[in-house]
Amino acid sequence: MIETIAPVVNAVLQEGSAAPAIPPAAAAALAVGLAALGSGYAERGIGAAAVGAIAEDDSMFGRGLILTVLPETLVILALVVVFILG
Amino acid sequence: MSLYGTAPGGRSSNYEYVIARVRSRRASLFDDDDYRKLVRMGTSGIARFMEETEYETEMNALGARYSGSDLVEYALNRNLAKHFDDLLKWSEGALYDYIARYLRKFDAWNVKTVIRGLYSGADLADVEDDFIRAGEFTERRLDALRNAGSIEEVVTQLDDTVFGDALAEAYEAYEEQNVLVPLENAIDRAFYETLLEGLPSNPEPDSATGLYVQFLRAEVDFRNLRNALRLARSGADTDPAAYYIDGGKLFDRQSLARLTGNMDNLVAAVRESTYGDDLDAALSDLEDAGSLVEFERALDAALLEYADKLSTRYPLSVCPVLSYVLAKEREVDNIRAIARGREADLGPEAIEQELVIL
Repeated sequence: MIETIAPVVNAVLQEGSAAPAIPPAAAAALAVGLAALGSGYAERGIGAAAVGAIAEDDSMFGRGLILTVLPETLVILALVVVFILG
Repeated sequence: MSLYGTAPGGRSSNYEYVIARVRSRRASLFDDDDYRKLVRMGTSGIARFMEETEYETEMNALGARYSGSDLVEYALNRNLAKHFDDLLKWSEGALYDYIARYLRKFDAWNVKTVIRGLYSGADLADVEDDFIRAGEFTERRLDALRNAGSIEEVVTQLDDTVFGDALAEAYEAYEEQNVLVPLENAIDRAFYETLLEGLPSNPEPDSATGLYVQFLRAEVDFRNLRNALRLARSGADTDPAAYYIDGGKLFDRQSLARLTGNMDNLVAAVRESTYGDDLDAALSDLEDAGSLVEFERALDAALLEYADKLSTRYPLSVCPVLSYVLAKEREVDNIRAIARGREADLGPEAIEQELVIL
């Protein structure tokens, strides 16, 4: 079976080298999207903990907010890719 | 995903939220300085001090009906119930299950209170004040229990709970001897045996479940150890296996029965176990002075320290919650000891010996 797959893969790769399956702009957009997904997941945990801390002690509001949005830097860094390519 | 273990219901646990709140509450418990101040106050001074802290609401609510150390005690119980109820309210998924399992301790306490009240013919209001409404039982069930006319009725009402089978069995022994001991033992054993039931017996040592099981085993071990020491000290001719609780790793039924006969062997066995390091100083004290009270304090302190250690080793697990539950219980015990001690005119040093402070 592997023998039959090899030529097909070769053909696809040769064709792919001519025109990429994902063009640069789309790849950059994907990168931003994935980074946002990742930071969203990180913020989920931090946000839950921050709300817990604020519920116990109001003075934690500022600190909680800052810590919650820290993973947002990931999205900003991913945005840099868009400008480099664009 | 192992980090956020899911319960049968499919809801994931919210460790972050619960633990942030719990850690904050843990930090605001009384510290050494507060205890040092409290030990030197009179009962009314203690009451006034407590009105300015955490316990304000409860002190005000109960202040009209009670005074002195009764007021302190009931306020402590209510506050404890409020905090532990909060824990159950916040938590979801597997975390809820873990916490509820442990807090069933208070269900056991409430059932015992009802049975003792019926046995001694105490009036309903007194029984109600002694309730700690922190367990899994609903208000309605507790009220039904309180209004039960006889111990038999209590046993039937608890038919569908974890205590059901054990109580029904013990009720026959109670009818024969007319003493409460078999019933109370049955309740305690039912609690400790369901504590470890359904949890994996050999989980990954460093996972959240692993630490939870490890902690519960330590608790069961310490309970067995305490019973064994008491039996060995009193020299009573009771079969130690009757008091043995399954699930610990320190003793099995045979070794417990063998060791209880001889105090020195028992101490040596504990010293060689995994708890040896934590309990070393306490064990030496026990050998020298033979004071069981101090050793039991040391056991409490060791368990508390152990829980703290687990909670820092794996922050996103049930361990910080358990460490808080233990610390809060110790605080309540300590304040109660201080209030009762001052009422009985004990000196500050004598009371300080009774406290469990890390």
